[in-house]
Amino acid sequence: MDWSELQDARLAVITEFVSRTPGGHVGRTALMKFCYLLQTVREVPLGYRFTLYSYGPFDSSVLSDLSTAETLGAVQSEVKFFSDTYSYQITKGESGDFVLRNGAKFLDKYRRDIDWVLEKFGSHTSADLELESTIVYVDREAAKRSEQLSVDQLSQLVRKVKPRFNEDRVRQNVRALLGMGLLKSC
Amino acid sequence: MNPHRTYEIRCPVHGFIAFNDWERQIISHPAFQRLRRIRQLAWTDQIYPGAMHTRFEHSLGVMHTATLLYDSIVRKAKDVLRNELGYDEAGFQRSRQVVRLSALLHDVGHSPFSHASEELFPEQEDGDGKYVHEQYSAAIVRGPLRDAIEDHKLNKANYGIKADRVAALIEGGAGAEQDIFWRDLISGQMDADRMDYLLRDSHHTGVHYGRFDLHRLISTVTAIPDTNGPPRLGIEYGGWHAAEALVLARYFMFTQVYFHKTRVAYDIHLREAMKVLLQGHFPKPLREELDEYMKWDDWRVLGLLAAGKGGEHGERLAKRDHYRLVFQTNEVQTEADRKKLTRVRECLGDLQAAEMPASKSWYKRSDGDIAVYSNEDGQKKVAPLSKYSNVVSHLGNNDQVLVYCLPERREEAAKKVEEAIHGLE
Repeated sequence: MDWSELQDARLAVITEFVSRTPGGHVGRTALMKFCYLLQTVREVPLGYRFTLYSYGPFDSSVLSDLSTAETLGAVQSEVKFFSDTYSYQITKGESGDFVLRNGAKFLDKYRRDIDWVLEKFGSHTSADLELESTIVYVDREAAKRSEQLSVDQLSQLVRKVKPRFNEDRVRQNVRALLGMGLLKSC
Repeated sequence: MNPHRTYEIRCPVHGFIAFNDWERQIISHPAFQRLRRIRQLAWTDQIYPGAMHTRFEHSLGVMHTATLLYDSIVRKAKDVLRNELGYDEAGFQRSRQVVRLSALLHDVGHSPFSHASEELFPEQEDGDGKYVHEQYSAAIVRGPLRDAIEDHKLNKANYGIKADRVAALIEGGAGAEQDIFWRDLISGQMDADRMDYLLRDSHHTGVHYGRFDLHRLISTVTAIPDTNGPPRLGIEYGGWHAAEALVLARYFMFTQVYFHKTRVAYDIHLREAMKVLLQGHFPKPLREELDEYMKWDDWRVLGLLAAGKGGEHGERLAKRDHYRLVFQTNEVQTEADRKKLTRVRECLGDLQAAEMPASKSWYKRSDGDIAVYSNEDGQKKVAPLSKYSNVVSHLGNNDQVLVYCLPERREEAAKKVEEAIHGLE
């Protein structure tokens, strides 16, 4: 794929996630983590390069693509305010179908993978997605080093970067992901 | 040597930059001194002759700026950080030092002429795409610089910082543990890297587009608590115009310097000449290949180019016979713009020598919105900068594409572009 075909594919995937997430809208955190899981777990070649931040795996290119999708009218964003924070509510825009058509070949090829992400994670909160994607990230790092970890060991590594989550919750999420067969080091 | 002695070095942007004896030893290490031989902006001096500065001075500037940001955030949000990340006083001191070292060493893995040759990094074994310069930096920190980082008396007696922790903060790994919170200062929307390079590149190129009020930003940056997630870095309400200026500085520097049509043409020629010199790609950031990688610097490349070993593109660099821009899209593209680009490409055929999308430029990185925090009469409010700044809210994503032809076929190519555009009207 050359760069423009890749961009068409990414824009189509983003628009697809936005339009098919339960409720018809998605936040930025959820979108970021969906793309991460799609690329990392399902090995869909989106060409993103995720690295770890305190809010989980992140690649600024996802936000660049989201911004391009907004400019093209494929999606639209609205800011929602809460007591001490805010989030974005992203919905499909008028030109969404144009972008989906441009990336139709890619979407058809990886339809089952997108379905899988939405089926397994589509209804999760952004906090859950942040934790789950961090667990996958830490797991993949350990697997790269050829390390074999117990549930407790992986949970402890995750808690060191995400101290706000209590031990039980992290362990519970590690077990759930392990049960789904998504972890490589554990 | 007195391990408690401090040193200062003069910086054209920040005045004096202070560092301790431990950092001095790291700076003196050949792996860091190599940055004196890597220019910050590649061949930008062909357009802006003053742009001869190196990654060496930039790295010192990033350490300095990251420290100012760190100290300001801790001063303002100590309780938030203590509660969320569990730091005690010693923990704050240690994380400050980790941030300083990560900022100092974040670019130590750069290839010759900085980002211009990065496309020649090899593919990773696990299908994760090409290596990036942060992975080379991390490998150098874990390898050649490990002893200089871990064995100094100041570290052993006070901090016990391991090279792995510094490397993890640079490349974004779990080994940074709770210090991962500070990664936004190394690589993020308001990072020290960006703040330094905008000011430094402006200074050396002689343009004023990259200037913004650094000290106002530093005095208003803070950690904002968030009930739904970890605290986020943001800016107090009083600093939002300074944050707006940072965003605009980046936009102007991108359009006027980093994505300048001729500068981009030189990046293309350098990349192609480097392909010939390397006969493929750079060595990998693995223990057995790292020494070979570190032998590559600007001096070596210039020597080989001077010896005529850079092929056709080496010749073009030497003779300033660069590709010419024949077509460029709008910065913010519509559906119609994308169709026009497709048509131009078809009409040009083999007259098109190269193209470069803004999205492939390292300087294009966009890390989302900046959070603005206000607390008036006990009413806490957090909103994105774009909610306050009309300018920022209308700053669309720059997806410009530059299309080039050979200089000797410029007229022919221009006619084809005219026909292509005319055909669409």
